[in-house]
Amino acid sequence: MKVDIQELEEIARLIRIDIITMIYKAGDGHPGPALSVADLITALYFNIMRIDPQKPDWEERDRFILSKGHACPALYAALARKGYFPHSDLSGLRSLESHLQGHPDMNKTPGVDATSGSLGNGVSIGLGMVLASRLLGKDCFTYVITGDGEIEEGVIWEAAMAATKYRAGKLIVFVDNNGMQSSGPVEHVSGLYPILPKWQAFGWHCQEIEGHNFAEIIQATANAQANLEQPSLILAHTVKGQGVPFMVGDNSWHKRVPTQEQFQEAMIALGGECQ
Amino acid sequence: MNTIGDTRAAFMQSLMEIAAEDPKTVLICADSRLVVKGNAYVEKYPDRFFDFGIAEQNAVNCAAGMAACGLTPFVATYAGFITMRACEQVRTFVAYPGLNVKLIGANGGISAGEREGVTHQFFEDIGIVRTIPGITVVVPADPSQVIQATKAIHKINGPAYLRIGSGRDPVVPVDIPFQLGKLRVLAENGYDVALFTNGFVINRVLKAADLLKQQGINAIVVDVHTLKPLDSEAIIQILRRTRAAVTIEDHNIIGGLGSAITELSAEAHPTPIIRIGLKDTYPRSGNPDPLLDYYKIGITDIIGAARKAIQQKNLWR
Repeated sequence: MKVDIQELEEIARLIRIDIITMIYKAGDGHPGPALSVADLITALYFNIMRIDPQKPDWEERDRFILSKGHACPALYAALARKGYFPHSDLSGLRSLESHLQGHPDMNKTPGVDATSGSLGNGVSIGLGMVLASRLLGKDCFTYVITGDGEIEEGVIWEAAMAATKYRAGKLIVFVDNNGMQSSGPVEHVSGLYPILPKWQAFGWHCQEIEGHNFAEIIQATANAQANLEQPSLILAHTVKGQGVPFMVGDNSWHKRVPTQEQFQEAMIALGGECQ
Repeated sequence: MNTIGDTRAAFMQSLMEIAAEDPKTVLICADSRLVVKGNAYVEKYPDRFFDFGIAEQNAVNCAAGMAACGLTPFVATYAGFITMRACEQVRTFVAYPGLNVKLIGANGGISAGEREGVTHQFFEDIGIVRTIPGITVVVPADPSQVIQATKAIHKINGPAYLRIGSGRDPVVPVDIPFQLGKLRVLAENGYDVALFTNGFVINRVLKAADLLKQQGINAIVVDVHTLKPLDSEAIIQILRRTRAAVTIEDHNIIGGLGSAITELSAEAHPTPIIRIGLKDTYPRSGNPDPLLDYYKIGITDIIGAARKAIQQKNLWR
């Protein structure tokens, strides 16, 4: 069931509250990257993807791969709010008895389509899913979110070549372009920029959007779906820490746990409860 | 004395038979179609063949994605490019999720890599895959065994690694059916010493056992083709009887058959064991037989090791 943009905004707000709460309770995790992808994931799970939480193994379902697996609190929150597992499970993040691993595990967590976390691998796993679905006559799309720093990995470009060779039109990749990676700004750490011309040169259908704007996310996805001859790349400009002002512009929140005061400040910013 | 066969062609022959019966089987290559003699397959099953070019990491990840959607991909290229170049993809995206991907590694061992030199001689592959949980690991003896082993790994639901050779591989004259996870006794002259072996050096071991017999030493020759799961109970039973053993393999003495047997022995039945294989060094280019002799994987080396193991057994008494 598709929800409208106003409702997507509200779900994304709740998911951001979940992200901060999970990481605060777990005492571990990556808040900045999870907040960065929260709107993309919300749009996919609550508007774009053809899925059924009652049938997580449905063969005809659309697939999603969070290639930047360290942002998984956003994915876990979306899956819980979609009904794949109880919302109360979120409090177990990264603990021994929980199914919510530090990075996504397709066999432990209902609704996770691919194990991910070591960077660079999601696009090629997604390509395999697209090629398999085509061979098996299944009418479904595969969506991947990568980080921007992540696409420094060589295997990304191996996949980029192969997806064009096989005209993998049902592969739609979002690059979460928040401009930061673990050690600092992408432009300082690597020679990655410019991003879009590289994908264009590899033969992909390319678009550029504001990654916190639901109308743009949905429209760009529809454009991508309409082009079945080329794989699609959507470069989504995002903000690391989006929604929690004191995390924005401070890359120490790549992986960091809020103090009690910071947790309360974040909850106030997000309109959540300071429990 | 050796008849020469082709384990690469044998793999492909077996895959053709599997593909005829199982429409979910696909072949994935990394510019390795000719290496694994895939032309006839590609002609017959063009939609079930994927060549991703010289890009093994992508090939293995694509296989993982395909398996997650219900296909059974066979990824076939050089052993080292699967187990080293794409090691992390094998470990994290195939083995950890337990996906039904079959990995076929060509040029397994220094003899199969022969004149290509170190870049194409793979003597660490078994050690690498053995340390990754959840992969079935098979080192078949010759073409006939490869045909049977390929069908056997297709029948199990989960990751498997199968080693093949150069395409000029010795045929073992003893014909005992392949059974996944079960060792094969190729000669049972007696129980003075056990010669555990696998892969393309088996004929050397059989010859050594014959010569030992002429010298009054009676050995049992055991093909341990499946290293995971290891046929532990049967191996321990043999060790109990012989109380002395030699392992002979075309692999580094670290990580492969020698390690598997000595690890088991150390915990279950401590026994003097001499390991024969590449002694933790880099080999040179050369023809297979002189190469194996040069690196002390020769018939006289096996005989010497058997005598030494028996000597140690007698000292242990």
